Amino acid sequence: MPPPVIDKRHEFAWLFSHYEWLMIAVTAIVYAAVLFAVVRYRRRGDERPRGRDEAKIAESIYAGAIGVIVVILVALTFTTESRMDALAARPKLRIEVTAFQWQWRFDYPRSGRTVIGSPNREPTLLVPAHTQIEFSARATDVIHSFWIPSERFKRDAFPDRTTRFDLVFEHVGETAGHCAEFCGLRHADMNFNVRVLSPADFRAWAGGQG
Amino acid sequence: MTSVAEAPAVRSSGVLASLFSTDHKRIALNLLAVSFFWFLLDGVFALLMRTELARPGMQLMSEDTYNQLFTEHGSGMIFLFVTPLALAIGLYFVPLQIGAAEIAGPRFALGGFWLIVAGGLTMDSGWFTAHGAAKAGWTAFYPLSGAQRSPGLGMDLWIIGVVLATVGAIVLAACILSTLLRLRAPSMTLLRMPVFCWTEVATCLMVLASFPVLVVAMVLLYYDRHFGGVFDTQGGPVAYQHLFWFYGHPVVYVMFFPFVGIVAEVVAVFSRRRFFGYSAMVLSLLAFAGLSMSVWAHHMFATGRVTNQYFSLTSTSLAVPGGIEYFDLVATMIGGAILLRTPMLFALGFILQFLIGGLTGIILGSPPIDYHLTDTFFVVGHMHYVLFAGSIFGFFAGAYYWWPKVFGCFLGEGLGKLQFALMVIGTNLTFFPMHILGYDGMPRRIANYSKHAGWTGLNELSTAGSYVIALSMLVFGWNVWRSMRKRVAAGPDPWEGHTLEWATSSPPPRHNFDSLPPIRSYAPLYDLRQGES
Repeated sequence: MPPPVIDKRHEFAWLFSHYEWLMIAVTAIVYAAVLFAVVRYRRRGDERPRGRDEAKIAESIYAGAIGVIVVILVALTFTTESRMDALAARPKLRIEVTAFQWQWRFDYPRSGRTVIGSPNREPTLLVPAHTQIEFSARATDVIHSFWIPSERFKRDAFPDRTTRFDLVFEHVGETAGHCAEFCGLRHADMNFNVRVLSPADFRAWAGGQG
Repeated sequence: MTSVAEAPAVRSSGVLASLFSTDHKRIALNLLAVSFFWFLLDGVFALLMRTELARPGMQLMSEDTYNQLFTEHGSGMIFLFVTPLALAIGLYFVPLQIGAAEIAGPRFALGGFWLIVAGGLTMDSGWFTAHGAAKAGWTAFYPLSGAQRSPGLGMDLWIIGVVLATVGAIVLAACILSTLLRLRAPSMTLLRMPVFCWTEVATCLMVLASFPVLVVAMVLLYYDRHFGGVFDTQGGPVAYQHLFWFYGHPVVYVMFFPFVGIVAEVVAVFSRRRFFGYSAMVLSLLAFAGLSMSVWAHHMFATGRVTNQYFSLTSTSLAVPGGIEYFDLVATMIGGAILLRTPMLFALGFILQFLIGGLTGIILGSPPIDYHLTDTFFVVGHMHYVLFAGSIFGFFAGAYYWWPKVFGCFLGEGLGKLQFALMVIGTNLTFFPMHILGYDGMPRRIANYSKHAGWTGLNELSTAGSYVIALSMLVFGWNVWRSMRKRVAAGPDPWEGHTLEWATSSPPPRHNFDSLPPIRSYAPLYDLRQGES
């Protein structure tokens, strides 16, 4: 049985929603507490409040509660990350990404195809849908970063080492990619298109090599 | 007799004498003025960038100019504005709050001031060189910052400027920490120091531990640019990032802690209560400073070349000391008698807005989320909620709170509230949309974006907000000018302060105190008042 296909978008959405709701809840609690304090304890006359100056037990319990939340968040993060960072043992397709000032080159070693951008035309990365693809990214000059926002994933491309990661594209269609690491003069223009084809269409493009 | 003798010393006797004075208050004011100059200059840079980004396409400037602007904006704000500001406020108020007559090593402190001035001038002189100012970002990642990819004198001047300003900050931090440890008044024990002083302890510890690493990184970068052989090796680019972020994360808390301290003082005074949870606060500040040294590589999750789990764990753990600080701030208000004067409004602005920056920081501390959001406008929004919606609101809380102490007269209350309202609107309008833009796919540090990306509306909103912030600064300038002309006398203690700086005249004499009240807690003047009533 093949290993389960890990779609980074679902992993991201799942983890992000936990963080998002927690952050909204914390914000609501703090805003409510501050609003309560400002309305209820607004100075009206010449009152001189006398209260205790600390509550060590309450503070300790509170710190412990945050500690528990931290442990939960870190546990969620670790389990998600181990799934996200895992590389498939036998990917269906390998694509080599080469980033350079200020263009991209995509090589498909099995089919021998190459896509390269020019100053007038952004390159288009063609990928099959529903397929675990292993990318290996490298830069030739400075550090770049390969980012496809709709995949919720980016990875830096270094000149001194190849970085590897897996991606799965779910829907047939078009999306955008950018260089996310500032890389000099024309960094803003270092974009690419992503075209997700059905596996059959992709095989046809790649000359039956998949 | 004393008041007659010291009166001339308080007045500045000539510009030159003032610039070379060894009075910690004079050095601090000069440093504040200089850092505020860079705030305005780099603020104008930000306005230019926001104007360019309002619409897709290049309208105002070239991409090359844009890259110089964001590099100098980030570098200036961090190396020349907020860091010096955090230290300048300590330089002025630490001796006053612990009942000291002087700063430790006044000539060193003066030297630190001049090093920062020299660093700023060196860095910005790059604008006048052939290739223009540095344009590798404030982080100057290698190999982009190397000789081949960033030729020209501008980059070298930037490196030298960073070294000078950073050494200046180290010297100032050493003076402030020595003062805190060695020059406290009799009976001012460590655990009777005001919260603001403890935030300066934590700040100076971080400066002394992490800033030298930046100096080393810059010297190595300079050497690599001229002689090669340092970072142009296997692992070199990542090694540079480790060195840089080992400084680059603690500096965020250097630029944040003193403002937490100000907010803590303001909240206590304007709630007419002793600060709640003093010992928990002190403990959490020290824990925070310690942890801050172990989180740096959370800036490098997307490199795929660091141990993400470890740095995610330490970064997320910061929620514990951060949460304690929030608990104590809110608990001080609950049960108090809150007076909503301008300093308190800015303190509330800090508490409510920094929260968003802190929480998005926790989100970014999770690598699987950070993979998507790092190096995008989400991060730009996050850091500006921390530094602008947080620290700068804290600074203005302090400005309105301590202005009467420093200049002997009030800033206008009406204009203060107007400035506050404009700043709240402008800040949130400018920086909140950035989170959505980043999530939606807008990378940071881009001079241009496609008109088909759908980012135009939010960018227009953000640009409009930046002009509202600029307007709020004009209101502040007007307020300062009016305050200096009208000079509504404040007296020594207009707010019923808690700490020793309110026990001396406004402005304080050269030697700070003629006599000190008894010190039995971290709020000696509050104790005195309680004893009377």
